[in-house]
Amino acid sequence: MSDVVLQCENLTKTYLSGERPLTVLDDVSFSAVQGTSLAIIGPSGSGKTTLLGLCAGLDVPSSGVLSLMGFKLNAMNEDDRAYVRNQFVGFVFQNFQLLPTLTALENVMVPLELRGEKNISIKAKELLARVGLADRFHHFPTQLSGGEQQRVALARAFITSPRILFADEPTGNLDEENAHQITDLIFTMNRQEKTTLILVTHNLELAEKTERILQMKGGRLVNERVTGLAVS
Amino acid sequence: MIEYIIKIKKVTKNIFQDPWVWKMAWRDGRQNLSRLFLFTAALITGISAVVAISSLNYSLQEELDRNAKELLGADLVLNSNKKFETDIFSVIDTTKQQIARDADMASMVMFMNTQQSRLVKLTAMKGDFPFYGEMATFPSNAYELMKTGRYAMMDESLASQYQISSEDSIKVGTKIFKMAGVVTKIPGGGGLTSTLAPAVYISLEALDSTGLVQFGSRVGYSLYVKTRSEIETNKLIERIKPLSKKIGFGYETVQARRDGLGQGLKSVYRFFSLLAFVALVLGCIGVASSVHIYAREKRDDVAILRCIGSSGWQAFNIYFIQIFVLGIIGSMVGSGLGVVIHQSIPFVFQEYIPLKLQFAISWRAIGEGIILGAIVSVLFTLLPLVSVRFVPPLTVLRADFDPGKFFSKTKWLAIGLIVLFPILAAAYQTKSLLTGALFSVGLAVALGLLASVAIGLLFLVRRYFPTNASFIFRHALSNLFRPNNQTRVLMVTIGLGAFIISTLNVIEKSLLNQVEFSGGKNQSNTILFDIQPSQKEGVVKLIKDQPLPVNQVVPIITCRLKELKGKSIEDIQKDTTSIPEWALTREYRVTYRDSLTSSEELIKGNLQKYYPTRRDSVFVTISEGMHETLQMKVGDSLVFDLQGVPMKAWIGGIRKVNWPKDPPNFIFVFPTGVLENAPQIYVASTRVDDPQVATRFQRALVIDYPNVSLIDLRLILSTVDELFKKIGLVVRFLALFSIVTGLVVLAGAVMNSKFVRMKENVLLRTIGARTSQLTKITLIEYGYLGVFSAFTGMLLSLGGGWLLTKFFFDVQFSFDPFELAAIGAGVIFLTVFIGWFNSREVISTPPLQVLRKEG
Repeated sequence: MSDVVLQCENLTKTYLSGERPLTVLDDVSFSAVQGTSLAIIGPSGSGKTTLLGLCAGLDVPSSGVLSLMGFKLNAMNEDDRAYVRNQFVGFVFQNFQLLPTLTALENVMVPLELRGEKNISIKAKELLARVGLADRFHHFPTQLSGGEQQRVALARAFITSPRILFADEPTGNLDEENAHQITDLIFTMNRQEKTTLILVTHNLELAEKTERILQMKGGRLVNERVTGLAVS
Repeated sequence: MIEYIIKIKKVTKNIFQDPWVWKMAWRDGRQNLSRLFLFTAALITGISAVVAISSLNYSLQEELDRNAKELLGADLVLNSNKKFETDIFSVIDTTKQQIARDADMASMVMFMNTQQSRLVKLTAMKGDFPFYGEMATFPSNAYELMKTGRYAMMDESLASQYQISSEDSIKVGTKIFKMAGVVTKIPGGGGLTSTLAPAVYISLEALDSTGLVQFGSRVGYSLYVKTRSEIETNKLIERIKPLSKKIGFGYETVQARRDGLGQGLKSVYRFFSLLAFVALVLGCIGVASSVHIYAREKRDDVAILRCIGSSGWQAFNIYFIQIFVLGIIGSMVGSGLGVVIHQSIPFVFQEYIPLKLQFAISWRAIGEGIILGAIVSVLFTLLPLVSVRFVPPLTVLRADFDPGKFFSKTKWLAIGLIVLFPILAAAYQTKSLLTGALFSVGLAVALGLLASVAIGLLFLVRRYFPTNASFIFRHALSNLFRPNNQTRVLMVTIGLGAFIISTLNVIEKSLLNQVEFSGGKNQSNTILFDIQPSQKEGVVKLIKDQPLPVNQVVPIITCRLKELKGKSIEDIQKDTTSIPEWALTREYRVTYRDSLTSSEELIKGNLQKYYPTRRDSVFVTISEGMHETLQMKVGDSLVFDLQGVPMKAWIGGIRKVNWPKDPPNFIFVFPTGVLENAPQIYVASTRVDDPQVATRFQRALVIDYPNVSLIDLRLILSTVDELFKKIGLVVRFLALFSIVTGLVVLAGAVMNSKFVRMKENVLLRTIGARTSQLTKITLIEYGYLGVFSAFTGMLLSLGGGWLLTKFFFDVQFSFDPFELAAIGAGVIFLTVFIGWFNSREVISTPPLQVLRKEG
C-alpha cells in the first residue's frame, strides 16, 4: 500500500451549467503505484482532462476521496495543494505553458526556487542539456520552436524529481518528428527518475507505451486494461 | 495530517522574507513593463497634476502674500487719529523693527501755475515706506527729492488734470513746494480708496512748517512696521494690543489684507483643491483600471505558477512588487513632471502676458505627490490584483474555467479603504472633513446615477430592439446586452470621465466669470466726488458724452456716531475693554437707497423702507465686520450726528460687502426718504480703459466742473487686476491639465473592454466576417456607449456644477454650451477611436492564434 502514490475513490465532479447541474465525472475510482505509467484515453468530453485536473490537485472533486502521496487533497486549501504539487508533482501540457517572460533556464529553475533551494542553475542547465537545449538557456519561449518549448517544459517538470508526472496531450501541438522525440524523452526520463506517469491522450499509439490504459466515456471509467508493455 | 499542516505552515513566507517573489517580479517585469504603460501613464499624469496644482496653489498663496504685502506696503500698519504716543515707539524700538510713518489730512492746495485751488488728501511721509512693493514715480528720483522737505509729489491723475509739470510749484498751507514729480504707483492703496481723494505727498518734517496741523485738525496717522517674520508680527501685535485699546488705534496685518482681497480668490483656492482632488480621483481610476487589465493579462502566467507550486499570495506579491516599485518611480516622475510643468508656466506664457510670475519649487507639494502616489499605487492596486490570488490552476487546462465568486478579507479591506480614501483626500485638499465627505457622496451619487442610466439604456434597447435593422446594426446593438457585456462598467467609467471633465469646465467658466467681473471690464476704476446736487445731471451727461459708462451715482453724507444702544460714545470710550476708539470717533460717509448693489449681499435682517409717519422706522443696514467691531446686531439702536442734527436709527440688516468690487461701498446705508435734505455731495463712478480718453475726460471735467475731484483707481486696481489675470490663466491651464488626465483614464476604460470582444470578433472573423463589417460593428457599439455616457456625464455635470458653484464656491453658475458640446464630442470620438483601435488588434491577429489559446 505504501507504493500507491495516487488513490481515487468514487470521484465525482459536477458543474452548474446555467441552472442545471452537469456531471462531468461520475464515480471514478483507480489508483497508481510508484514508478508505473498509465494513460487515460477517451473521446472529447469524456472527462479525461477533468480527471487529470482532479488527480493533480488542480481542482477538487464534488464528492469522493482523492489521495496524492498520502495527502487527502479534497481536505486541503488551494495553497496547501500548491505546496503538494511543488513537492511531488510534475506537469507537461499540450500548450507547453511556459512563463513567457522568463528564459528557458529560468522557467526550469522556478519549481526549485519555489522550494527555496539554492545553487540550482547547474542542475537546470544539466536538465536542459539532457533535453538537447544546451545552447538555448537564455532564450525566451517566443524565441523557441514548439518542440523546444515542450523540451523546456519537460526539463521543468523533472527538475524537482517528481514522484508523479501528469502529461496532458504532450504531443498534441507538435509535428510528427518532434512528437516522436518528446515521447522518447518523456518515457526515458520517466524510467530514469522512477516517476509515476499519468498521461492523458487521444493518441492510442502513445497510450500503448504506458503500462495501463483507463478508458473514459461520458464521465465514467468504462474500461481498464494493461498493455503489452506491462505484460512484457 | 497534523504533521502535514505544521510542515505546510513552516514554508509560508511574507513578502519581505521571500526573495523569490522579488526575483520573479524583476524577471517578469524586465520583459513586461510596457504592459504597465497605462498604469504608469495614469499615475504620472494624476500625480503630476496634483503636484503642479499644489505647487501652483502654494505659489499663488506666496504671490498673494507678496501682493498683500505690496498692497499694505509693510507687515503691520497702525492707524490712529491721534499722534502716536511714545509708548508705542518704545514697544517697537525694543523689538528693533524697521518703521516708517505718515500723516494724512484733507487740505486745499493751490497750483501756482494757474492759481487754481483743489481739495486733496495731503500725505506727509517719513522713513523708507514702502517696505514691500515700490513707489513708482516719474521722474524716478522724485521720492528722494520729496524727502528733502522742499519738494512735493502728486498723483499722476491730479497732475494730468491740472497740467502740472516738474517746473511748477504748489502751495500747501503757508508753504510753497516745488514739484518733484508724479506718483504712478504706490503700495497701501487701501487708504486711497477710503478717502476718495487724489493725493499730494510731502515729507513729514515739512508738515509742521505748512501750519496746517493745528488744534482740532483732523489728521490720520499711520505707522508702518517691517518685521523679520510672521511670528515676529504676531508677537508685536500681542504686545501692542493692550495699548491699542488704551490709546485708541487700529492695526492691519498682511493676513487681514490678504483675507480682504475678495471672494474671487477664495473660490480660486477652492477650485485648486477641487482640481487636485479630481486629478487624484482620475489617477486612482486610471490606476485601478490599468491594474485590472494587467491582472487579466497575467491570469495565464499565474495559473502556471500555481500549477507548479506557487501560493496565491506569492503570485499576488510578484505583481504587487512590480506595481508598487513602478508606482514609487511613477510618483517620483509624476512629481518631477509636476514641478517641470509648474516651473515652465512663466516661460510658456511669457509671450502672452507681460507679468512676472514668481514660482519657487514647492518641496511640500513634491513630498505630498510621492506619498499620495505610493498610497494610490497600493490602495487602488489591491482590489483588481487580489483576484490574482484566486486564479485557479485548472486554467492551464481550461482557459475559460470560472471558479465562481470568492471571499477575500483583503478584497473587503481594500474596498473599505478605497471608500475612505476619497473622503480623507478631499478632506485634506479642502481642509474640511464634511466637504470631503460631501465630495465623496457626490461622486458616489454620480456613479449611482450613471449605473441607473446604463440599466435604463439596456432595458430600452431590449424593449425596443430594431428586429428589422441590418445584421451589423443589430449585432452591434445586441452587444450591449449580451452575456459578459461591459455596458454598465463602460458607461459608468466613460460617463464618470465625461462628468468630471464637464464639471471642471462648468466650474472654470463660473469662476472665470466671477474673476472677470471682479477684476475685469465691468468694474469702476474712476471715481468722481464732490459733485454738488446742482451739478449731478451735468456731470452724468459729461461722462456719457465721452462716451463712458455711468456705473453709479450715489449721494454721500458725512456723519459721526453719537450713541450706540442707548449709551453715549463718551461713556463707551470710558470702557477700556470695549469698542476700538477709531471706530467710535471716525467720520462715516453714508448713503441712502432701498436696494443692494452688485457688490452687496444681505446676510441678516432685511431692507426696510422709511415711513415718514413713524418716527421709529429709520432702519439702516451695516456692513459685515463693522457690526462686530461696533458690537451691533439687528434691532440695536444707534444715534448718528448728522452735522449737528441727531438722527436715531436701528440696525435693520447686515450686508456682506465685496469691498474691492465696484466702489464706492459703504459701512452704513440709510433708506430713502431720510437724508435727502441733509447737506450732501454726490459720487459718480465710471470705467475708463484708454489713457487718452482718461486724459481728455479729466481735462473736460476740470474746465466744466473745477470743484469736482477725480480719483483714478487704476493706480490701485492695477495690482488687483494683475493678480486676477494670473489667476485666470492658471485656472484655465490647470483645468486643461486635469482634462488630459481624464482622457488617459477614458482610454484605459475602453481598452479594458477589448478582452470581452476579442473572442467574439475572432469567431465572427473565422466564420467569414469582413474587416469592414467588424469595424462597423465596433464603431456602432462604441458609438452608442460614447454618446450615452457623454450625454449622461454632461447632464450630471450641469447638476453637479450648479451645486458646487452655489454651495461650495459661492459664485454664480455659468456654463458655455459650445465648450460642453465640444467636450461631449471629444469623449464620443475618443471612445469610438479606442474601440476601433482595439478591434485593429483582433483584425491583425490570426484567428487560430486566439482560438488555440482559448481552446
